[in-house]
Amino acid sequence: MTNSPSGPLRLTGLLLLLLLVFLLDIAIGSVRIPLKEVLQVIFSAHTDNDTWTYIITQIRIPKAFTAVMAGCGLSVSGLQMQTLFRNPLAEPSMLGITAGASLGVAAIMLAGGNIATLYTIKELGLSGSWMITGAACLGAALIMMLVLSVSGTVKNNVMMLIIGIMIGTITLSIISIWQYFSEPELIKDYLLWTFGSLGGTSGMQLVILGLAIITGLVISFFSCKMLDALLLGENYARSMGVTAKRARFIIICSTSLLAGSITAFCGPIGFVGIAVPHMARLLFSTSNHRILIPGCCLIGTILMLLCDVIAQLPGSNTVLPINIITALVGAPAVIWIILRKNNLRAY
Amino acid sequence: MKKKISAFNICSLILTGALLLNGCGQPATTAADSTGSPGGDSDTARTVIRYARGFTIEYHDHYKLLHILNHMGEKVDTLEYLLLRKDAALPPGYPHAQVIRIPVQTMVVMSSMHVALADFAGVADRITGLGSFQYIYSPIVRSNIKAGKLTQVGLDGNLNNELLITMHPGILMASSNPDAGSGKYKTLTDAGIPVVMNAEWLETTPLGRAEWVKLLAALTDREALVDKKFDSVEQAYNSLAQLGAGAKQKPRVIIGMPYKGTWFTPAGESYMSRFLLDAGAVYKWSATRGIGSLSLNFETVAPEALQSDYWLNVGYVDTKKEITAQDERYGSFKPYKTGQLYNYNARVNDIGSNDYWESGGVNPDVVLADMIRILHPELLPDHRLVYYKQLQ
Repeated sequence: MTNSPSGPLRLTGLLLLLLLVFLLDIAIGSVRIPLKEVLQVIFSAHTDNDTWTYIITQIRIPKAFTAVMAGCGLSVSGLQMQTLFRNPLAEPSMLGITAGASLGVAAIMLAGGNIATLYTIKELGLSGSWMITGAACLGAALIMMLVLSVSGTVKNNVMMLIIGIMIGTITLSIISIWQYFSEPELIKDYLLWTFGSLGGTSGMQLVILGLAIITGLVISFFSCKMLDALLLGENYARSMGVTAKRARFIIICSTSLLAGSITAFCGPIGFVGIAVPHMARLLFSTSNHRILIPGCCLIGTILMLLCDVIAQLPGSNTVLPINIITALVGAPAVIWIILRKNNLRAY
Repeated sequence: MKKKISAFNICSLILTGALLLNGCGQPATTAADSTGSPGGDSDTARTVIRYARGFTIEYHDHYKLLHILNHMGEKVDTLEYLLLRKDAALPPGYPHAQVIRIPVQTMVVMSSMHVALADFAGVADRITGLGSFQYIYSPIVRSNIKAGKLTQVGLDGNLNNELLITMHPGILMASSNPDAGSGKYKTLTDAGIPVVMNAEWLETTPLGRAEWVKLLAALTDREALVDKKFDSVEQAYNSLAQLGAGAKQKPRVIIGMPYKGTWFTPAGESYMSRFLLDAGAVYKWSATRGIGSLSLNFETVAPEALQSDYWLNVGYVDTKKEITAQDERYGSFKPYKTGQLYNYNARVNDIGSNDYWESGGVNPDVVLADMIRILHPELLPDHRLVYYKQLQ
C-alpha cells in the first residue's frame, strides 16, 4: 500500500469496477435472463422477450440508477458531516434531517389511518408515492430550517453537533408516540418504509431524485476548498477567509438536499454515510476533498450496487431490505480496512 | 353517494346466498328468516366443527370444553376454556382452564371479524367494548356507538386494563397469535376476565374462517340458530366452488400490489389462495407453503403480472389512475390495459369502513360468488357483485 499508485489512477480503477458492478446488478436477479439478452436490451433496448425487456428497463435499470444516486449522495454527505464536525462518527442522519423525513412519512402513513385525513388528502388529488415523497421532503426541509436557524446563533461545531442530535431525538420521539397509538397494520407500512428500498423509484421520481443529487454534489464539490480549510481548524479557516458560519450554512444545505432527497425516495438508508468516507480516506491516503468527494461517490456507488445484488439474494424470489445489507456488508468492510491500516482519522 | 346500509341489507346478503343456491339446483335452506329472530338461546343443540382447525368444542353433561389450538408444524399448542352455566360448580380435572360463564352477555372485541362473528350469531348488541371505533361497519354496533353504549378499550398490546376490569365483560376476544398464551393478558385473566384468543385469521380455508361463528354460538348458547345459518353458507359455498373449479377456461390472476419493490401475495395455504382455487382461477403461487403472505420481489411477480388476465384485491386504491400514481410501471400490466381490475371496496361506508373485512369473513359464499362472476361471467350471469367492484 505504501508504493500505491496516485489518486487519479485509483479513481480510474474504481470507475472500471463501478461499471462492472453496475452491469452485475442489472444482470443478476430473481428471473434468470441470459447475459447476452441483458446486453442486447441495454444497448439496443430490444429483445424478442417482452417480459425480459420490461424487467430490465422498468425494474433493474431504475433500481441500479437509484443505487448509484443513493451511494453518491449518502457517502458525500457523510464525508461533509465528518469534516464539518471533525468527528469520525458523524453521518448524514446526525442533524436530524433523516428523522425529519421520517416524521413527514409517519405523518402521512400513521395519521392516514385517520379516515378523515385520508379523505382530505385524496380530495386534494394527491395520492400514491408522490404523497409520501412530498411529505418526506417537507419533513426534512422543516428540520433543516430549524437546524439552520440554530446554526446562525451557535458559535462552535461541537455544540451544533449536539443540538442536531437532540433535534433528531425529539423528532424520533414524536414518531414513537404516533406509532404507539396507531393501528398495527399502519405501523407495519411505516416499518417497511424505514427498512429502506431502492426498488420504489422510477420514471419521473428518478429524474427529480437525480436533479436533487446533482445539485447537492455540485454544491459540495465547489465547497472543496472550504472543507479542506475546515480540517485545519476553525481559526485557520478564518485566517483563510472562510467564515465558519457561512461554511456551516452551505455544508448543511447540501447535506440536507442529498440526505433529505434520498431518504424521501428510498427510506432511511443507514451506514453508507458513515462507512464510505473512511474507506475513501484510507484508500486514497489523502484528506484533499477534491479527491475524496469523487472517491466517496465511486466507493459509495460500488458498495450500494453490491449491497443491492446481495439484497436480491440471487436465485431466490424474495428481496431483503437494503438497510440490513448495507450494515451487514459495510461494517465488516470498515473493520477490515481499519485493521489493515490500523488507523482511523476523522479528518 | 355511499348509501348507509340497514339490517335489511345484511339479511339480503344472506338471501343472496340462498338464491344462489337455488340457481345451482340445490335445495335452499331458508336462512333469511332466522336473522334477527330474537330468541335462540337454548342449551340442547350441539355443534360440530368441520372446517376450522383452530378450535374444538366438546360437550359434556354440565359444561362445554373449548380448546383453541395453535398449529406449529407438527406440534399443537392448546388453550383450554371451560364454558359453564352461571352458577354451576367447577368440574374437576381442568386446573389450567379459564372459566367462561355462559351464555355470555357482554363482550369486548378487537377486530372487524369479531364484530362480524357476533353479528352472524345475532349477538352484536352484546358487544360493550371495542379496541377502536374505527373500521366498524355493522349498523347495530354503529348505532350503539352513537348511543354511547360502547367503550373504546385500546388495541391489542395497548389495552386499558383498568377500564376493562371496571367493565368486567363476559369475555375479551383478542386477535393475537394464540402462542402468545395468556401471559400477555395475565392482569385481565387474574381479574377474572376470560380472554379468548381468536385465531380465525390463521385458518387455511374460507369456510374454516367463517366457521368461527360456531365459537360464538357455543359461548352464547345459540348453536341451533348458528348451525342452521352456517349450513346454508356452507352449502352455497360448496356448490359454487364446484361450479368455479369445473370452469373450462381458467384465467390467470394476480393479487395485491407491490410496495417499495416488495410484493406481498397470498401464500399457497392461505384462505385467499383457496378462494382463487375454488373460483376457478390459476394462481401462480398456489403450491407454495405457508398460510400468511409471501414477500416476493417486484421482479418475480412482474412476468406473471404482465401476462395475467385479472388483477384482484388491488389494495387501497379506488381508480386506475391511483394505481399508476403509485408507480407508473404498473400501467404495463395486462389486466391494467384490458381493464380487468377488481377491488373489494364496493361496500365502504361513510367513515371508510370496508364491509369486506367484516361480513365478508362470515359470508365466504358471497365473496366466492363475486369472484366467479368476475372470472367466469357466463357461470353466474344473474349475480350482481356485492363486495367487489371494477376499478374505473
